[in-house]
Order: sequence, then C-alpha cells, then structure tokens
Amino acid sequence: MKRSRSHLARVALLSLLLVLALAVGGCSRPLGQSGEGGIEPAAPVAPEAPVPEAEEPTEPDVALTAAAGAEERIQIPVGVAHALSGPIAIYGEPISQGIELAVKQINEQGMLGDGREIKIYQEDTAGTKDQAIAAFEKLINQDEVVAILGPTLSNSAFAADPVAQEADVPVPVIGSSNTATGITDMGDYIFRTSLPESDVIPNTIEVVKEARGIEKVAVMYGNDDQFTQSGYEVFVDALQANDIEILTSEPFAKGDTDFSAQLTKIKNLEPDAIVASALAEEAANIMVQARQLGIPQEVFFIGGNGFNSPKLAEIAGDAAEGAISGAAWFIDNPSPENQAFVEAYRAEYDADPDQFAAQAYTAAMVLAEAIKNAGSADPADIRAALTEIENFPTPLGEFSFDENRDPVHTPVVLIVQDGAFQLFEQ
Amino acid sequence: MSAWDLFLAQLPQQIVNGIWLGSVYALFALGYTLVFGVLDVLNLAHGSVFMWGAFFGLLCVTTLGLPIWLALPVAMLGAGLLGVLLERLTFKPLRQLSLGVAVLWLGFLVALVGIFRLFAPLFNWGLVVTGLIGILAGLWLDYRGVRSGPPRQSPHLAPMISSIGASTVLVTLSQAAFGAQQSRFPFDTFPNRVFTLGPVAITLLQITIFILSLLLMAGLSYFVFRSKTGKAMRAVAFSERTAALLGINVDRIYLQTFFASSALAGAAGVLHGLAFNAITPFMGAPVELKGLTVIILGGLGNIGGAVVGGFVVAILEVFSVAAGQSNFRDAIVFTLLFLMLLVRPQGLLGRSLEKRA
Repeated sequence: MKRSRSHLARVALLSLLLVLALAVGGCSRPLGQSGEGGIEPAAPVAPEAPVPEAEEPTEPDVALTAAAGAEERIQIPVGVAHALSGPIAIYGEPISQGIELAVKQINEQGMLGDGREIKIYQEDTAGTKDQAIAAFEKLINQDEVVAILGPTLSNSAFAADPVAQEADVPVPVIGSSNTATGITDMGDYIFRTSLPESDVIPNTIEVVKEARGIEKVAVMYGNDDQFTQSGYEVFVDALQANDIEILTSEPFAKGDTDFSAQLTKIKNLEPDAIVASALAEEAANIMVQARQLGIPQEVFFIGGNGFNSPKLAEIAGDAAEGAISGAAWFIDNPSPENQAFVEAYRAEYDADPDQFAAQAYTAAMVLAEAIKNAGSADPADIRAALTEIENFPTPLGEFSFDENRDPVHTPVVLIVQDGAFQLFEQ
Repeated sequence: MSAWDLFLAQLPQQIVNGIWLGSVYALFALGYTLVFGVLDVLNLAHGSVFMWGAFFGLLCVTTLGLPIWLALPVAMLGAGLLGVLLERLTFKPLRQLSLGVAVLWLGFLVALVGIFRLFAPLFNWGLVVTGLIGILAGLWLDYRGVRSGPPRQSPHLAPMISSIGASTVLVTLSQAAFGAQQSRFPFDTFPNRVFTLGPVAITLLQITIFILSLLLMAGLSYFVFRSKTGKAMRAVAFSERTAALLGINVDRIYLQTFFASSALAGAAGVLHGLAFNAITPFMGAPVELKGLTVIILGGLGNIGGAVVGGFVVAILEVFSVAAGQSNFRDAIVFTLLFLMLLVRPQGLLGRSLEKRA
C-alpha cells in the first residue's frame, strides 16, 4: 500500500515537471524571439564588412595600372583582423575604432593621391588562434587584401601571422597590440607598432635614475604570469645596466591579496624605491599595504605597462601618489599629431582613446604612408616601403621601423599626481 | 645586515602579519569544517558563498549606503540564506526527493533563464520573479515535508561534485552581475588608522578584524557546545540515525548547519574584502585551497582544529617569506602538511575517525 502511494507520488511529480517544462518551453518561444531582436545592438557592430562582389575592381594589379582614370576612385583592399567578440573584445573594440578613424581620415584627405582609397575588410578573430587563422585565410585568399592589420593577441599572432608570411603572394602584417618577444622574428613580412616592454622599461629606469638618483631598490613580481615574469626579467637587466642594486626580489602568485610578509621584509631593507612587475590591481594592493606597514611615501613605486590603468589610483587612492610607470603613449602628450588624434577620436566615438587605439591608428597611418610611397598596391612593394618608414609623425611620436620591423619611437614616463597619471618632468 | 639580523628585525611585524592573516583563514575554515563535521560532506561551494558575502557587504555599503557595522550582519544573513538555498538545491536532492525540491529546482531554472536573458526587460524580470516565487514555494513545501520521497543512496563523491557545480554557477552569476573587474569598499568605509609600536605597524582595521574573528569563533563554539541546536548538530554528526530516533529533525539540523556555516563564510568574505581591497568573483578559489589545508591540518570536522590550523598555516606562510623563500611559500606549507599527516593522519586536534564529533 505504502509502496504504491510513493510510486503514485513519483509519477505525479514527473508529470508535473513535464507539464511545467512544456509550458515554459512553449511560452518562451515567441517572446524569446523578441529578446533576440534586443541583443543585436549590444553585439559589437562590425562597421563595414560587406561580402566582396566579383565585379568590384579590387585586384591589386588593376589598382596599379588604372591610376590614369582620375574620376574613378580605386579601392585598395586592406584586411583588419581583430577580436570583436569574446572577452578580448574590450581591447579589440578601441583597436578597430582607431583603425576606422585613420582610414576615414586617409580617404577624406586623399592621403594616397591619384584617386586611390583604402577599403577595409573586417574579420573577427574572437581572440582565439583558430579564428585568427581562419580570418587571415579568408582575407588573403578570398578578399585578396594587400596588407593585414592585426591580430589583437600575441598568441593569435604566433598562430596566424605565418599564414600571411607563407601565402603564395606574401602579405605584410602590422600588429598594433602584440608585445611578446619574437613576433617579428616570424618573417620579413611581419611588422608591429606596439613597443615591447623591453623598450619601455629600460627607458623608464634610465629617466628615473637620472632624475631621482636612486641607488638601491626592492623588486616584487608575479612569477606565474608570463607578462609579469618577463617584465621582471627586463627590469632586472635594466636595473643592472644602470648600476642600481637589487636588495631583494620577492615573487607573488596570481590571485594573492596579502603581500604584507614580503613588504615587511622589504621595509627592513630600506630601499630607495620599489619596482613592481604586476598588473594594476595587484600593484594597487601592494601600494596600500606598503603604506599601512609604514613604508614612507618617499619610497615610490616603479612599474611597467601593467601600472597603466585608471584602476591603479582607483584602488590604491593616496597610496599610489608618486608611482612611476613607463608607457608607449600618453593621452595628454602635447605633440600636434597626438592632440589632433585625440580630438578626432573624441569627436567620432564620444570617448577617450586608449593606448591600443593610438597604436592601431598609427599602424593604419603607417600603412597608408607606405602604400603612397610604394606608388603601387603590390604587397611586396608595400612591404619594401614599410621598411623605409622613418621619423614619420604619429600620435606615438616620430615613428620608424628598425631592421627587425619593430617600432622605434621615444616612450613616455608617467607619474601619478593627484590621482591621475601626468608626464614625468625631470 | 646579515640574513639572520634581517630575519630578527622583521620578526615582530611578521608575527603580527601571521596572526591577523590567520584569523581570516580560521574564520573561513570554521564554516567549512562545521559542514564537514555534521554532514560528512566537503562543501566546495564554501568559497563562492564567501565571495558572495563580500559582494553582499559591498552592495550594502555602496548601494544602500549602510555603515560597515550594519553591512556585516546583513551580509552574514544574506550569505546564510544563500547557504540554505545551496543546501536545498545541491545536497538535499541527493539524500531525498520531495515535491518541494522539484518546485525549487523548477523555480531556480526559470530564474536562471530570466537572469541570463536580460534583454527584453519585462519578460525576463517576469521570469526571474516567477522563478524566485517558485524557489520560495519550493523551500516552504520542502520545509513542511510535503510529499517527501524515500531516502536515496547517492555515490559517495556525488555531493562534492554537486557542490563544485554550484560553485561554478555562483561564480558565473556574480561575474554577470558585477563584472570580472576588481572592486573595493569605498575609502571611507573604515577609518584608516595606523598604530606604530616600535618596529610594528598595525592598523585599526587589523585589530578590529582580529577581535571580530575571535568573537565569532567564540560565538560558534558556544552555539555548538552549549545551545540545544548545537547539541543536536553534534548528535547528528555522531550518528544521523540515532539522532533521528531520538526525535531530532535531521533535515532541519542540516539547514541550520548550512546557515551558520555560510553566515561565517559571509563574515569572512566581508572582512577579507575590507582587509585586502580585492573583491572579485574569483576571490573564493585561493582562499578555498587555503581553507582546505587549514581544516585538514587542524583535523577534519574539528572546530578548535580549524582555528589552530588557520593560525599555523598563516604563520608558516609568513615565516617562509621572512626566511627568504617567497618562491617556495606554498611548497613549504604543503610539505609540512604532508609531514604532519605522516605523524598524525587525523590532523592536529583530530580524534580518531570514528569519534570525530
């Protein structure tokens, strides 16, 4: 008797579940569709990624010879492969905006001359290796672009750049956010406009040593993250090159929140400054705890690109005052090219550009200059013209490529004053 | 300065660092060990409840504008209720099915659908509200024992795996709600006072957290060893069947245990967030690992053991850094843990497995 009752209960329960599930499934359909309509605008909108039509005169050879027809605008196809979806899209978005802004200016001002203009073919890499490879293959084989700007991540670059380098007709690639070592070693068609940490950090140390005369420092670094670990190695080399004594090197792990043990040790060693190869959020906590432990404000912090975030002052507050950081670009840099760029970007997107946008803008501008100088839309000619770029005025400063196709320009040194980064005046 | 002099010079401050870090570890481990002691289940979602506690506290301070001394109990209550929900959603169905559990799960799924599709506002809010009503109705039905099924047997590891799943859901939800970025309590949440006593610098916040932790630990001990509910908990821990025969409502004891354990996790979360300015959806995982070390070291299910273990692990960590080995900090802690388990497999204060309660 009891058994059959519990059995009954179970059957009743199951059928109830089923009915409810059906009801939910049924009523969610029409409304779900209206929901889908709502999500569209939220997705990053690729501004113009039309399917190329066969009639369009996008053949590079045509562009070369048709220069005589002054009325007709000749379109030079350029590929843009950046992360527009996924977690990396927060970087990919300013990058693609920087490129769009540059291309808009190039075409409006007729920078290429002879009625030629750049036409963008945009592909989403989603921040993954395989999507980056697929994007590169489509851009090269289907859209027949003469150059590619991208990809967003160094990891994607290691995967996708060889596609362009080893194509039947190799295509130059300009990365604007890849800072890892060895990117341009992949081949003679690979360029970048993003200054690696190994250029930014030594400059920072040199400038600070000259201005403040520091002699001994303590170093803290994240030892389980490639970015902070390689930053640490560059710091050590730069400190040694400038005859600055390293009192101790204290590692920490990703996700650590308590740094007081390391900082207590550092406090007793009485350094002139503390070098931290850390991301902004960790660095901010290190600063707060250092001040709590009584490390005086005169002992300032030095960091690399990781410091370069508004989060630093937001989390650390007063503890961040005086922190010094190197960077490839600074928004308030007074050079006319930079001011013009920042103004145009604000007018176009109603937001402040970041370093990624500036470097991407520079990449597009440098490419346009090379296409103009080459007087040709042949990838090989463009590559040759890129290597000859020298002291070209950009928002990053006077820009050149060195013999390894890495960027050459003077990095900036910044200091936190009144809760925000300012240019470091010696 | 020789290495030894350096070590001595920093010794007083390092001891202070260790004691106060230990109090945070201990507070976290208390709730962890409580659930293990009573239910014999390793609740791996404890770290996520801890994280949600920190966010509850943060919301109280930023959105509601409550002072921190009021935000702490509210966050504890919120985390406690979250723990209750967690128990009913992930552990109860493995022991026993009931109509309430079914309604609860349905409500939860409906709410999830609503939460993850917040782009047609009215419709989704409707779903979320319906889901929440379902959850409440399910909890009530379950509490009243309406149409409860027979006890179920589940594989030994099932509750633990189930709690891993719950943990993932909780982290994802908080990521959706608050973003992956690090937040902190506003600067004026707690007065920033530093006392300097010779070589030692200590903040008012550290002293407060230490005292609060001690109070909460004392409160829990009193609750478990003196109160009627606490005695019932220990009875259930000793033998579920005997306790049931003696007229103890075992199911209700489970709920109370989860509430107490999760409220402690919530308190630990708020204090951790205050202390280290780092509230993120991922703050639970590292503490969870430390907490596990602490309770194994102290003796699984042993409340005193969790306290002692917390301080031992923290002091060991701090000293391995002080002695010059920040690189090997965790390796040193775990090596000592291994050695300890060789000598005392039941942990520092653990009794033999049979009489753990």
